[in-house]
Amino acid sequence: MLETITIGAVAYDPKVVGIWEGLRTYFREEAKVPVEVVLYLSYEAQVAALLAGRIDIAWNTNLAYLQAEHLSQGRCRPLAMRDTDLEWWTEIVARKGGPVRQLSDLRGKRLALGSRDSGHAAILPVHFLAESGLVEGRDYQSVRFNTDLGKHGDTGTSEVDVLRAVLNGEADAGAVGSPFWAGVLAGNLVPAGAVEPIWSSPHYHHCMFTARVGLPAEDAARFTDALFKMNHEPRLRPILEAEGLKEWVAPHAEGYASLRDAALRQGFFAPRS
Amino acid sequence: MGSPRPTLELHPEAPSFAAGLLNELVAALGELADGELLALHGPAELQQDLERWARFTGNTLVEMTPGSETTRYLVRKGAPRSYEEAPAVGSRLWLYSNFDCNLACDYCCVRSSPRAEPRTLSLEDVQRAAREAPPAGVRELLVTGGEPFLRPDIAEVLLACAHALPTTVLTNGLLFAGKRRLTLRELPRDRIVFQISLDSPTSALHDQHRGQGTWEKARAGIAAAREEGFRVRLASTVSDARAEEEFRAFVRREGIPEQDCVLRRVALRGFADEGVALSRADLVPEVTLTASGIYWHPVGATDDDFFVTSRRFPLSEGIQAVQLAFEEERRFATALASVFRCA
Repeated sequence: MLETITIGAVAYDPKVVGIWEGLRTYFREEAKVPVEVVLYLSYEAQVAALLAGRIDIAWNTNLAYLQAEHLSQGRCRPLAMRDTDLEWWTEIVARKGGPVRQLSDLRGKRLALGSRDSGHAAILPVHFLAESGLVEGRDYQSVRFNTDLGKHGDTGTSEVDVLRAVLNGEADAGAVGSPFWAGVLAGNLVPAGAVEPIWSSPHYHHCMFTARVGLPAEDAARFTDALFKMNHEPRLRPILEAEGLKEWVAPHAEGYASLRDAALRQGFFAPRS
Repeated sequence: MGSPRPTLELHPEAPSFAAGLLNELVAALGELADGELLALHGPAELQQDLERWARFTGNTLVEMTPGSETTRYLVRKGAPRSYEEAPAVGSRLWLYSNFDCNLACDYCCVRSSPRAEPRTLSLEDVQRAAREAPPAGVRELLVTGGEPFLRPDIAEVLLACAHALPTTVLTNGLLFAGKRRLTLRELPRDRIVFQISLDSPTSALHDQHRGQGTWEKARAGIAAAREEGFRVRLASTVSDARAEEEFRAFVRREGIPEQDCVLRRVALRGFADEGVALSRADLVPEVTLTASGIYWHPVGATDDDFFVTSRRFPLSEGIQAVQLAFEEERRFATALASVFRCA
């Protein structure tokens, strides 16, 4: 059994510090699981640390989880995820009454995409469109906003850029993740009805706690037991809400096939140099 | 406001964004360069959605003019400037001492002239503002008009201000003669700076905007203030980059320190019928106290869209009202940053 379980997370925003202060305090003082937290500025650095055994568990995006899994030949294992990581999808949005009203209208048009390492705003839309016979560069021109590289789209800034391009006429349509689009609608951030989804992708899952190769089973169990206990503690609700979930759930590893295929085809599984 | 001349007029077929207006709007903007104006004619109900669109995209809704059937929305293509380098809101306090003026400059942003209603800020109000300013966080006072030296009590006004904080007085410099020259001698040199308007290196352009013979008189006023021992800053209102560069060269030739030269473009406000279109989104507020209320910025101190509150005192509450209005203006950026939650 490890003396300390070291957890990695990516600080894509200053608020991440506060979230992990809260989680660390809970694990150490209430659950009596000795954890330490290491914050990274990119998922590439975090995956490298996990593969090198410098951290025991990584709080990964879907792409980072699959990179760790692939580069460890399947020996990095999924441990847990948020309920809100299940069933994401990508919306292709376009101006109401504009030149793009259905997917086939994208031929010869401009599609705005988020950061190239964002599963939901770049990798998967390019993949799903290719499956529908629309190939980037051949059938449509992409307008890419690589504004938060290394964060796998966590900051949402590239999706703001995508939507701005559609609203400004720099692009005819754009790809954004379902949580982002829901936030835009809930916040009334764009004129009602000005931009609408014209296509929704198949569903896929998002973040995943990922264990390093060789993490003792009892340490993985100590971690997940403590994590799932949080679901039943109302006073811990603020931490969960800050993290954007109602409850932690067991891994649903079946929701990653499309991204695994897309990331492989688009070269995201190359070993880190 | 004057009568801004848009580059393009748009009478869209779709009456709303939900009906497809956005397509017509982006097509029209596609024909404009950054900084050019589009006049969009649409229903009054369009305002909120148009503001939302402008904020998200970084274009600027400059003006709305209700008509009998439609409202004319003036949209400037292009993003407002960054807020990052501006002084803290409330650290400067502008006092509009009066709105009447001995000149009638054709670009005056607050329509001052000899016929303008003075709307004088009473001496009691000036004294109270000066007293309450330092504890409210103000670090600098700026007295402007109109022409402040038209006031018979200008010495008391400036003494009250200078007693409280370092003070700059904006003037055309044409009235430093006779009794008013003696007034200068009552004022503390170490607490008061004069900012005198001089629009061009030679008389032609200055006189064209401000009146025949005013350039020579302004030069004499600058000399008089300097002779009395005051630091003088030159303020030049220019219409384009070429005029700006000519003035900078003049300032260098005259040996005037760069920090004593204030250059600004003509603002599309007041009497001006062309110039830089400005909205609240363009300007970090500089709290501006007038006889009728508190405004967002001195450049729009007669315009409803820059009006913040009629409750002027306690001054700290007036300043807080401007700060809250600024927070509201910035709220949208924060909302964008928080729509996405992840790890």
